[in-house]
Amino acid sequence: MKMAAPAAPAVSAAGSAVAQHVPSLKQRWRGAGNLAPALLFLGLFFLAPLIGLLLRGVLEPVPGIGNYEQLFANSAYARVLLNTFSVAGLVTVFSLLLGFPLAWAITLVPRGWGRWILNIVLLSMWTSLLARTYSWLVLLQASGVINKALMAMGIIDQPLEMVHNLTGVVIGMSYIMIPFIVLPLQATMQAIDPMILQAGSICGASPWTNFFRVFLPLCRPGLASGGLMVFVMSLGYYVTPALLGGAQNMMLPEFIIQQVQSFLNWGLASAGAALLIAITLVLFYFYLKLQPESPVGASNAR
Amino acid sequence: MLLTPNAMSRRMRFGLYATTGLIGLFLLLPIVFIVLLSFGSSQWLVFPPPGWTLKWYGQFFSNPEWMSAAAASLKVAVLTTICAVALGLPTAFALVRGRFPGREMLYGLFTLPMIVPLVIIAVAVYALFLKLGYTGTMFAFVVSHVIVALPFTIISIINSLKLFDQSIEDAAVICGASRLQAVFKVTFPAIRPGMVAGALFAFLVSWDEVVLSVMMASPTLQTLPVKMWTTLRQDLTPVIAVASTLLIGLSVLVMVIAAAVRRRNEISA
Repeated sequence: MKMAAPAAPAVSAAGSAVAQHVPSLKQRWRGAGNLAPALLFLGLFFLAPLIGLLLRGVLEPVPGIGNYEQLFANSAYARVLLNTFSVAGLVTVFSLLLGFPLAWAITLVPRGWGRWILNIVLLSMWTSLLARTYSWLVLLQASGVINKALMAMGIIDQPLEMVHNLTGVVIGMSYIMIPFIVLPLQATMQAIDPMILQAGSICGASPWTNFFRVFLPLCRPGLASGGLMVFVMSLGYYVTPALLGGAQNMMLPEFIIQQVQSFLNWGLASAGAALLIAITLVLFYFYLKLQPESPVGASNAR
Repeated sequence: MLLTPNAMSRRMRFGLYATTGLIGLFLLLPIVFIVLLSFGSSQWLVFPPPGWTLKWYGQFFSNPEWMSAAAASLKVAVLTTICAVALGLPTAFALVRGRFPGREMLYGLFTLPMIVPLVIIAVAVYALFLKLGYTGTMFAFVVSHVIVALPFTIISIINSLKLFDQSIEDAAVICGASRLQAVFKVTFPAIRPGMVAGALFAFLVSWDEVVLSVMMASPTLQTLPVKMWTTLRQDLTPVIAVASTLLIGLSVLVMVIAAAVRRRNEISA
């Protein structure tokens, strides 16, 4: 991966700073005791249950990898996996398409306006997920405002089916993910030197060439990290797919909950959970590779 | 300005602004819609409503189930906030000031609950509390919420602690304060923006949490989102719109407070 390159110097810089100043062992561990409460808490209530859950996948109902075999062999379960990835993929594409112009406009318009657009994005990000999903449920239903408006305009004769199917899930989730695209992308765009674009146009590039050959490639780090983040988050979403989707479009998180709550099949649920964690962590590793530096990394050069 | 006026055609710019306006409206649409609907008189959520009424608010506030859910939500959120800050504060100090190896990995560990899908945390913690017989207790709610709120608190406090120059604290110690006094009287006031932001994040995360709460809930103890969730599965009554409006209202209030705190700090800085 070419974009991973900027991460390397930061890490080595932090490494050499540690090497230059070699404190005694006692000095080194001073203050580490402050970690104890949170470590104890997370160990007891987060790590231990997580490991316990993952173990159940290979221990219940009988030791072995039977649960994993079932997960991949059963066509209904395989469909759930396929569904999870296709929904996450669609959501990523749509939220990128919708988030890009918004992020771009924030950097272009006068500052006051940009701040307002940003406020709208933050408002939508921090208002209740459940409230917004409920709102989409009402908006999209057969007798809902959107169907009525489309029918009144004569665009459709029959109400469109937009909830309890794939359309509902994709609309609702793309809507929820837009802020997670806009925020990183906007930061990337803000950092692009406008002179580069001016240089492009002086050298004779048309606005379109300038956009596709100069601007878009410069936005790539923001697009990649935003898109990857949204894809990962979409894989693990439960509330929106459960409310806006139908029985046909079950995704992995819903499947896990169903196995636990309805069928008490902890083994299969655990296998599904292990798969979801593995995919999430691998993708998140790539996401971290895209980030320039770690928040605690360079701080010891004091 | 990115594509400068001479590099960007007028049509292109107009297109961009129009698209932006539409997407901005798209972002606001469900939020504004649900607030309006909570005042609409139609039982079937007809829009635009035939009339305006406070009937649903009356139903919400006179129903003991909704009221106890709202009270439980508030209680869980406040307790979560207190615990998350109490656990996050020493952690942030250790991570920013410590010289011990493996801090990067520890930071990763503390932010892990942000990355692991909520559903998995919910199922894992549910399994634990099921064994211990703690499901449906306030303890279960608060513990599960603190797990996911903690990363937000730690990150906020780390960010402001990194901006604080430790030599100021050292100066207080040289002038005769004990280290603890210096931390409480010098460092804490200086990093207050980070602590306040961390607390507000923790509150919002807990206030809005659905998945964990649904797993922890019992018929006798449920939070507002749980009550909404179970009601939603039966019908779309406008009372849910009232509950949504209250959830949105409190989130907006917290955001405004956060913005005000930030602005005051910008001015005083």
